[in-house]
Amino acid sequence: MIKLNNVSLVFQGGSVALSNITTTINDSEFIYLVGHSGSGKSSLLKVLYKEFEATKGEIEVAGLDVIELPKWKLPLLRRKLGIVTQEPQLLENRTAFENIAFALEVMGADNQEIDAKTNTLLELVDIVENAYKYPNQLSGGEQTRVSIARALANNPMILLCDEPTGNLDPDLSIQIVSLLEKINRAGTTVIMATHDSSIVNRRKKRVLELSNGKLIRDELEGSYITN
Amino acid sequence: MNKLTYVAKNAMLNMRRSPLIVFATIIAVLVSSFLVFTTLSARSIVENNTIRWQNGVHVVVFLDDRVTTTAHKQLQESLESYPEVRTVDYFTKAEAAEEFKALFNDQPELLSEVDFAILPSSLRVNLNNPSDYQLILERMDGNPAVKEIRTSGEAIERLLNLTNTLVVSATSFAFLIGFAAFILIVNTLRLAAYSKKKEIKIMRLVGASATYIRLPFIFEAVFESLIGTSIAVGLGWALIEYSKGSIVSDSIFDITISDNYLIYLTLLLLLSSLIFGLIASFVGIRKVIND
Ligand SMILES: Nc1ncnc2c1ncn2[C@@H]1O[C@H](COP(=O)(O)OP(=O)(O)OP(=O)(O)O)[C@@H](O)[C@H]1O
Ligand SMILES: [Mg+2]
Repeated sequence: MIKLNNVSLVFQGGSVALSNITTTINDSEFIYLVGHSGSGKSSLLKVLYKEFEATKGEIEVAGLDVIELPKWKLPLLRRKLGIVTQEPQLLENRTAFENIAFALEVMGADNQEIDAKTNTLLELVDIVENAYKYPNQLSGGEQTRVSIARALANNPMILLCDEPTGNLDPDLSIQIVSLLEKINRAGTTVIMATHDSSIVNRRKKRVLELSNGKLIRDELEGSYITN
Repeated sequence: MNKLTYVAKNAMLNMRRSPLIVFATIIAVLVSSFLVFTTLSARSIVENNTIRWQNGVHVVVFLDDRVTTTAHKQLQESLESYPEVRTVDYFTKAEAAEEFKALFNDQPELLSEVDFAILPSSLRVNLNNPSDYQLILERMDGNPAVKEIRTSGEAIERLLNLTNTLVVSATSFAFLIGFAAFILIVNTLRLAAYSKKKEIKIMRLVGASATYIRLPFIFEAVFESLIGTSIAVGLGWALIEYSKGSIVSDSIFDITISDNYLIYLTLLLLLSSLIFGLIASFVGIRKVIND
C-alpha cells in the first residue's frame, strides 16, 4: 500500500514540482499517472523511492515511513520496489542477460539462482532471443523490457514505471502495457507514468492526473483527455 | 563466496585501469612504513645498547694523588649517602694500571711509554638513574680531593637525544609521504567511482546496501596500503638480519632487538595501514556514493 498525505516537493530554486498531494494506492492496483510534460509525474515517483526528498507531508510505502527513513535503510525501501526510470539505465558493457543478472548479483544471490531467475525474467519480457545482445544492439522497446525485467528481479511488491512507452510506436507500447498488466495480474502494484492518452483511454484503469504539481483528477476506469 | 569474488574482482578491475598510480601508491606507503619501522627499530637497538652501558659505571671521580686514605674513605661514604647513587667502588692506582694494560694490550709501544704512576686512583659510581650524573657533578664541584670527573651519562644522553631526533624527523617525513599516499588513494578511488557512476546508480536503484557498493573500493585501498606496508616490514626485518652479521654490529654496537618488539612493531604498522586504507577509502568515495 502507498499512502501520501499532503506531500509537496519544492526545489531549491523555488520551483514547485508537487503540491499537497494526498492519495492512497492499494495493493495490486494498476495506476496510470498522467499529465503534461513538467506536471510532476517523475517527481512523484522519485519521491516514492526517495530519490527526491519531499519537502512536506507524509509518505508510506509498503509499510515504511519514507520521510523518516534513515539513509542507511534506503536499500530496504528500494528492495520492495521495482523501478523503471524514464531513460532505461542499462550498462552498455553488459548484455541484456547480464544487465538483468546484475540486480541479482548485487543482492548477493548465488550463480545458480541468478541463472534460473534471469532466464525466467527473459522469458517473461520476451527477450530470450536477444539475451546476449548489448544495449546498443537492442531497440528502444527491447531496452525497456530489459529494464522492466531487471526491476522485477527482486520480486517487488510495487513496480514504478516512468514513461516506459515514451518513445515507442503504438504497437510496441501496447506490448509493454500488456506486459505490465500481466505482471499486475500476478499481484504486483503497478504505477505507470505516461502522457500517452490513447493507451490510457483504452485500458480503463485508475488514473491520477497531475497538473503543475497538483493532483487534479483521480478516477477509477478513468481516461486522459489532452487538449 | 559470491560476494567475496565480486569484491576482489571489482577491486582488481579498478586497479588494472591505472596500474602506474597503484604502483606509486604502493611505493609511497612502502617508503613511509619503512621509515617508521627502521627508525623505531633503530631506537630500540640504541636503547638496548645504552641500557647495558647504563648498568655499568656512570661517573668516574678521579682522585688527587695527595688524597689520604681517610679522605677518600670520607668521599666514598658521602657519595654513598646520596639518594641517586646505587654503588661506589674504589679503584686503586694499581687496578687502574691493570685496566690500562688490559685495554691496550694490543699496543705494546704505547704500554712501554706510559708511566703507570701517573694513572690516578678513582671512585667509580653507579647511579640509580644514569641521567642524574649532573647532580654528582654539582656535588663534587670545588672538592679539593677531586682531580677530574668523567661521566658516561653525557654520552648516553647525547646518543639518546640523537636517536630521538632521528625518530621524530623520520616520522614526520613518513607522515608527509603517508599523506601523499593518502591523496593518491583518495584520488584514484574518486576517479574509479566516478567512472562507475552509472553502475553505482543502478546498484542503489535495485537496493544494494551502501557497504556492498563501497566494499570493492575499500578493498582496493586496504589492499594497496597493506601490500606497501608488508613489503616495508619485510625489508625492515631483512635489513636488521643483515646488519646483525655485518661490520656495523662489531664496530659500533650489538644489533640486539627483541623479536617481541619487532612483532609488536609489525602488527602495529599493519594495523595502522589497515586503518589508513579504511579512512582513505571512505574519504575517497564519500562524495560519489552519497549524491
Ligand atoms: N532536479 C530538479 N531540480 C529542479 N527542478 C526540477 C528538477 N527535476 C524536475 N524539476 C522540475 O519539476 C517539475 C516537474 O518535473 P517532472 O520531471 O516531475 O515532470 P514530468 O511530469 O515527469 O515531465 P515529463 O513528462 O517531461 O517527464 C518541472 O517543472 C521540472 O522543471
Ligand atoms: Mg518525467
